[in-house]
Amino acid sequence: MNDRRTIKYFSMKKLTEGKPRTFIAFSVLGIIALAVLIMNIFTGSAGIPISKAIAILLAGDRTDAAYASILLRIRIPRAVAALLLGGALALSGYLLQTFFHNPIAGPFVLGVSSGAKLTVAFVMILVIGRHNSVSSAVMILAAFAGSMITLGVVLMISRKIKRMSMLVVCGVMIGYICSAITDFAVTFADNSDIVNLHNWSMGTFSGTTGENVLVMTAVVVPAGICTFLLSKPISAYRLGEGYAQSMGVNVRLLRIGLILLSGLLAACVTAFAGPVSFVGIAVPHIARVIFRTSKPIVMIPACFLGGSIFCMLCDMAARTAFAPAEMSISTVTAIFGAPVVIAVMIGRRKGEL
Amino acid sequence: MSDKILISAEDLAAGYEKPLIEHICFQLREGEIMSLIGPNGSGKSTILKTLCGFLRKHAGTVFIEENNEADISDSERARKIAVLLTERLRPDMMTCREVVETGRYPYTGRFGLLSGSDKAAVDEAVELVQMQDFADCDFSRVSDGQRQRVMLARAICQEPRILILDEPTSYLDIYHKIAFLEILKKLAAQKKPAVLVSMHELDMAEKISDYTVCVKNGEIFKSGKPEEIFRSDVICELFGISRELYTEYFS
Repeated sequence: MNDRRTIKYFSMKKLTEGKPRTFIAFSVLGIIALAVLIMNIFTGSAGIPISKAIAILLAGDRTDAAYASILLRIRIPRAVAALLLGGALALSGYLLQTFFHNPIAGPFVLGVSSGAKLTVAFVMILVIGRHNSVSSAVMILAAFAGSMITLGVVLMISRKIKRMSMLVVCGVMIGYICSAITDFAVTFADNSDIVNLHNWSMGTFSGTTGENVLVMTAVVVPAGICTFLLSKPISAYRLGEGYAQSMGVNVRLLRIGLILLSGLLAACVTAFAGPVSFVGIAVPHIARVIFRTSKPIVMIPACFLGGSIFCMLCDMAARTAFAPAEMSISTVTAIFGAPVVIAVMIGRRKGEL
Repeated sequence: MSDKILISAEDLAAGYEKPLIEHICFQLREGEIMSLIGPNGSGKSTILKTLCGFLRKHAGTVFIEENNEADISDSERARKIAVLLTERLRPDMMTCREVVETGRYPYTGRFGLLSGSDKAAVDEAVELVQMQDFADCDFSRVSDGQRQRVMLARAICQEPRILILDEPTSYLDIYHKIAFLEILKKLAAQKKPAVLVSMHELDMAEKISDYTVCVKNGEIFKSGKPEEIFRSDVICELFGISRELYTEYFS
């Protein structure tokens, strides 16, 4: 039987332009990421001359100890943290969007970041009272526990609520509850380190140490690789659980993997940088638009790269726009990320959210 | 006519927590089409989901090409059975061809990249359902009728021996219903899978079926060849319609 009605579809814009687009987009993003990383290292309130900075970094010039210290101990760890954690956040958001089949899911809106913040704050208040410092590993574990608990609650709610938008509303509420309890605890904790805690609970990449960077690398890189290895089952999961199962995917295992990985990635970010808003939601959409595909094998590296660039740019804005005063990173990510979410919601077809 | 039995059920009981339908027996040979008809909620989907392996069997045995279904691994099952479900997901940024390509999942390697033979199977499926014209369009933007053809092509390129379709024609207009069923008949004749399809369109079910099963209130009400089933007395009782109404609407 011949279908003559399909003629009109000739005029529709074709989605795929094949591999060149993917290749070019990855190359451009890679160059941008490198450029932004370098810019992040070379700009800042200390006003280090570029020639001096290059000498310190490349020739090992240590004649100016103060400048060398700023570059090596402050700026580089901070820039690398923004790179790694930005990528982790975007991946976490991508995994959650995949899991819930929900385009506006993300670690921040589902309350996962705030849940992690709550447990980390409690652990910090408890431990700092006795030991003066908390190791990175303990922070991550606390954050992971918090993110898993909130994800558990969100999962229970998602069984009762089928509407995607309502699930997100519930997630936002959970986030507010967790934030309120955190603020309460911070207000009444009696310790001078609470000033730090306050900055951290607003979200910032400042104060990242070299040791922090090593630990976050040890978490984010393996988690990123595991996510990439899941790209085949995720690809099938895009069509829904039934189809995925019919193609031989172990859906239960995959779902557990998605939750664990997204929770771990979000927890790692919260442990080091506090809650960072909107990167997890916005970046996967931007990546989809740039690459014009939703293939996980493209999307996973694209999200990571996109999240890195997004966070490094936002962090640069946070620390240079009103230097020497700093804005919280969430202030900046919200300004650039929230409009993307609104655009996505407007662009959805009716009745879908 | 080949005689190889591809799928058979013996005293199968299907259901969610509790068995909903019991004593299901049938066998289906190469290239045969079996239709399941019956009122909404009678359990047609439950039977099909159990045969797909989505729901656990409460009793009985299912054989797939002489092998007990319980002994078959997930990936082997995926090479034997392909499905077309009622769930309507609209994945973002997937072309129709990409949706079809997911059918090659059981055959591809670690990262799901398509080999030359995979691409050939996709091309063949695309051609069989005649979706060449909109293969590169966004899946979420084509019509319902086209979407069902894409999903059928997806199932075809999975190269199944058994094809399970749950109400594939329900929300299509008459033109697309006919187009879909024509493709299905052609497929059954060419590739010789056993086809199980649930549907509400009695007139069409009669035309395409080799064998029909009537499901009502959790039991197999009647089964047999279409000429034994599609009679006014059977249909009236199956759906609980009075003779007067049947005459008024169907004659």
